[in-house]
Amino acid sequence: MKRLLISIFFIIASLWCIDRLGGVAMHYVSRNTHDIFGPKMKHIAVDADEDIILMGTSRCNMHYVPSIISDSVGQTVYNCGIDATKDIFSHYIMLNHLLSHHTPKVIILDTRNEDLLGSSDFSTIGFFAPYFGINSSSDSVMREAGKYWAYKVSHLYRYNAKAPSNILGLVVDSYANNDNGYIPLARPQDHPQELIHKTDTMLPLDSLKYDYYQRFVNRCHEHGIRLILAISPCYSIIDSSYYSAVYSFAKQNNLQLLDYHSEGLFHDCPQCFKDDHHLWDSSARVFSEQFAHDLKQILAHSANN
Amino acid sequence: MLFNSLTFLIFFPIVCIVYFLLPTTRYRNLFLLAASYYFYMNWEPAYALLILTSTIITYGCGILVEKSTDKKRKRTFLTTSLVLNLSILFLFKYYNFIGDSITDMLHTCGIAWQVPGLHVLLPVGISFYTFQAIGYTIDVYRGTIRAESDFFTYALFVSFFPQLVAGPIERAKNLLPQFHEEQHTLDYDRIMAGLRMMLWGYFLKLCIADRCGIDVDMVFNNVDKYTGTSYIITAILFTFQIYGDFAGYSLIAIGAAKVMGFRLMENFHRPYFSTTVGEFWKRWHISLSTWFMDYLYIPLGGNRVGALRHYFNLFVTFLISGLWHGANWTFVAWGALHGIVLCVEKAIGISKKQFSGISKLIHWGITFIIVCFAWILFRANSIDDAVTIICGIFTQIGRPRLDPANLMADIIALSILFVVELLQEHGKGGMLLHPSSWFARHLQMALLIAFILLFGVLGSDQFIYFQF
Repeated sequence: MKRLLISIFFIIASLWCIDRLGGVAMHYVSRNTHDIFGPKMKHIAVDADEDIILMGTSRCNMHYVPSIISDSVGQTVYNCGIDATKDIFSHYIMLNHLLSHHTPKVIILDTRNEDLLGSSDFSTIGFFAPYFGINSSSDSVMREAGKYWAYKVSHLYRYNAKAPSNILGLVVDSYANNDNGYIPLARPQDHPQELIHKTDTMLPLDSLKYDYYQRFVNRCHEHGIRLILAISPCYSIIDSSYYSAVYSFAKQNNLQLLDYHSEGLFHDCPQCFKDDHHLWDSSARVFSEQFAHDLKQILAHSANN
Repeated sequence: MLFNSLTFLIFFPIVCIVYFLLPTTRYRNLFLLAASYYFYMNWEPAYALLILTSTIITYGCGILVEKSTDKKRKRTFLTTSLVLNLSILFLFKYYNFIGDSITDMLHTCGIAWQVPGLHVLLPVGISFYTFQAIGYTIDVYRGTIRAESDFFTYALFVSFFPQLVAGPIERAKNLLPQFHEEQHTLDYDRIMAGLRMMLWGYFLKLCIADRCGIDVDMVFNNVDKYTGTSYIITAILFTFQIYGDFAGYSLIAIGAAKVMGFRLMENFHRPYFSTTVGEFWKRWHISLSTWFMDYLYIPLGGNRVGALRHYFNLFVTFLISGLWHGANWTFVAWGALHGIVLCVEKAIGISKKQFSGISKLIHWGITFIIVCFAWILFRANSIDDAVTIICGIFTQIGRPRLDPANLMADIIALSILFVVELLQEHGKGGMLLHPSSWFARHLQMALLIAFILLFGVLGSDQFIYFQF
């Protein structure tokens, strides 16, 4: 029994040492990698100083070209969109990291129904774990996701979600051709085949998502940031009530909402899309010009008022 | 309860501590029985009734078979046990498959009638515990073992939690006597060996199976969006995913049982080093292969019949083995393909040959390609998907569209597996795999846990073989 306890103690003690040393090494890797996620997250948490910040999922990442928007509105722009961060919790974490060192003038959140509807999903929370322990508001989301103690105990585990990508990013530079966070998507081999009609299959409103969305809005208000919601183009036809939850939320909070999906932008151009949800580089540039024009009008209008 | 869940990591030490604290074998067995049912009921409480039903049927029939002096009565009780158990298995696992197949067939003939479906969940591990229980009844009938008189001990044999939901499918003559052994003691070396096995099992599951599974699922669930090179890479990855998943589960099961003092049979013996498909089946899912050999292939006549009948026996055994794996034509096709290849190997006389040098390397390559190819049928969601993938492999070679970072993690983990198994295969892994130094042995365990923490896919919620 004594031998067994000594063995278990030794394994735990050596694991603790390896975990802490590994944590230090992975900290270096995550801050110096050239994959897509690492530099973006570092920019948000440490370096960001732009006037306009774009946030959202891969749809944000692939649709908004900062240089085009910047040229049009005359302000600096950074695209913080991160692939697969399909929940408001991720955006809330990023916002808190950003606000810890910089207050932009405008934040544009490329939103989706899933930011408010459907069950709470914390599956991509791990992406942000390398920045655990820095910001208490962000850490509170980890607690909500039931991951707080795991990240508190193991430093190595904090890097689990993006470890392969971070390590590969030391030798392969995937971020080289970025345009202030925008990663151009090459012309795809295939395009969506048919314009699908999405019927109104409304998922229930999730109170936790709603709460965090509201917190997101409140944090922006507290810092005097102008928050604008946007829904970028999708290759599908939708009913007028499809985004009713997002519209209702925007109205309640007196937020401007730019909905390019309901408008049917690019519906006559299947070759503009990589798939139902993503434009590729050429069409993203066309879209960015239109978006920049609309944004310029909104900003000019508010300046006049 | 999943082995790779936090619940199990709390459950298992508690079970071990209480188990070793209990004073007698009787109390320990009763405690393990309660723990095993708790383990199973954690998933779907009502389905524990199915295990109980199977236990009662086979226990009762076992005693009746043994007590009967008349051979005809013995056979009647055996048949009762088989029919009842297989009926439960059929109802929950195969009813909808057969019903849908009949409906499709009638539709093809222009008859618009639908066999009513059964909307039930497939009970986890039903094929495993049903086969284990059936094996017991057959063994009693054959006189290989005595019928177990104590119901609770027998119930523990059927429901023993380490191997309840995904095997190894234990034989009564191996496991049952262990429940009567004198108290298992706290043996340091045995416990550490068991923990090391569990740890390697976790590595196979979390760093190999679930990591490879990310790319495999992406391609096999969207076959239209990918081309030949992606199919080839993911077919190879699936070959290791299924190995990591199933061998990983088996190792955790064997290790967990070993910690408590039980010896479960080896289920995998480095199958991908096989030089023939026949040898592959001697190394892959050994507990199932030997089950089919003992209870189906040999009763059919085995190889002590004419050549044609021998091939027929082999083919039927593998066809049923395919069906055992799942209620889908893809599994039937997978079993059939293995059956055909085995018949060909027997016919050309390579099944018993020992190869060496270049010849060994060539036969290893051929066997690996055949096994990989067959796994496409196994993993594909439908026969149509399998055909798309197979055609794509030969016609649409293009740039693979897979995440390079994930592929790199696959390659790192697979390299570790390859080195370890190569050393084991050649019996040269002694110092590296089981260092004599206490310090190195323990450090090795800590490093493996750290590797799992960094590269393991820790959010996965399923073992592939649970569905069987």
